[in-house]
Amino acid sequence: MALRAALLRHVRIPVQTLAVTGAKLKQPIGFLRLMSSHDDHLNKEEVIERVLSVVKSFPKVDPSRVTPDVHFQKDLGLDSLDNVEIVMALEEEFKLEIPDKEADKLDSCNLAIEYIYNHPMAG
Amino acid sequence: MSSSKGVSTAAYVARRAAQKEKVRILYRRALKDTLNWAVHRHLFYQDASDLRDRFDANKHVADLDTIDRLIADGEAAHNKWRHPDPYIVPWAPGGSKFTRNPTPPTGIEIVYDFGKEDND
Repeated sequence: MALRAALLRHVRIPVQTLAVTGAKLKQPIGFLRLMSSHDDHLNKEEVIERVLSVVKSFPKVDPSRVTPDVHFQKDLGLDSLDNVEIVMALEEEFKLEIPDKEADKLDSCNLAIEYIYNHPMAG
Repeated sequence: MSSSKGVSTAAYVARRAAQKEKVRILYRRALKDTLNWAVHRHLFYQDASDLRDRFDANKHVADLDTIDRLIADGEAAHNKWRHPDPYIVPWAPGGSKFTRNPTPPTGIEIVYDFGKEDND
C-alpha cells in the first residue's frame, strides 16, 4: 500500500499535451476525417452536410431543390423504391446498419438527419 | 350498406399499405444482397439496375391477389439466392467487432506521445 502510494505520487499525467492534440484536431469539416470508432461524435452541421451531399448526388434528384427539410417523395418526385435506395446510400455513407422497419420510416431529409445524428455508431 | 362499404375500403387500404411495406422491405433486402454478391462496385451498378427493372416491371399491377402472389414469388426467389456470408457492419450483431473492444470507462485517457513529452 505504501509502495502504491509512493508510486502514484510520482505519476504525472501530461495535461498540456492533450490540449495540443485537441487543438490539432479542430480543423474544418471535411479536411480531416477520423477513421477510428473512438473519435468524438458527429456534430449536427457535419451530419446535415453529408446527408445533403448524398441526397444531391442521387441521379434522379435535382440538386438545387435539396434542402435540410425536404421530403423525398413529396418534394423531390421520387418513388418509394428510390427512397429505399437513398436510405441505403445514407447507411453506406455513415457506416450504419439500420433495421428494415426503421429504415422504412426514413422518408425525409429532416428525419434522416435526426436519426443519424442520434445514432451512437454513426461515423 | 355504406358502413360495410367503408369497412371494405378500410380493409383495402390496410392491405394495400401492408403490401407496399412488404415490397419496400423486399427491395431493400434484395438490393443489399445484390451488393453482397457483387465483387466490385461497377458490377453492382448493373445488377442493381436489373433488380430495379424487375420491380418496375410489375409497377402497375392493380389486382390485390396478383400482387400478393408476386410478393410471395419475389420473397421465395430472394430466399433462394440469399448470400451465405453477407457483409455486416462491424459493430452490429454478427459483425467482426460485435462485443469486442468496449470503450474505456470515462475518466481514463490514453496519451499516445511515446515519451515525447519528457523532451519538450
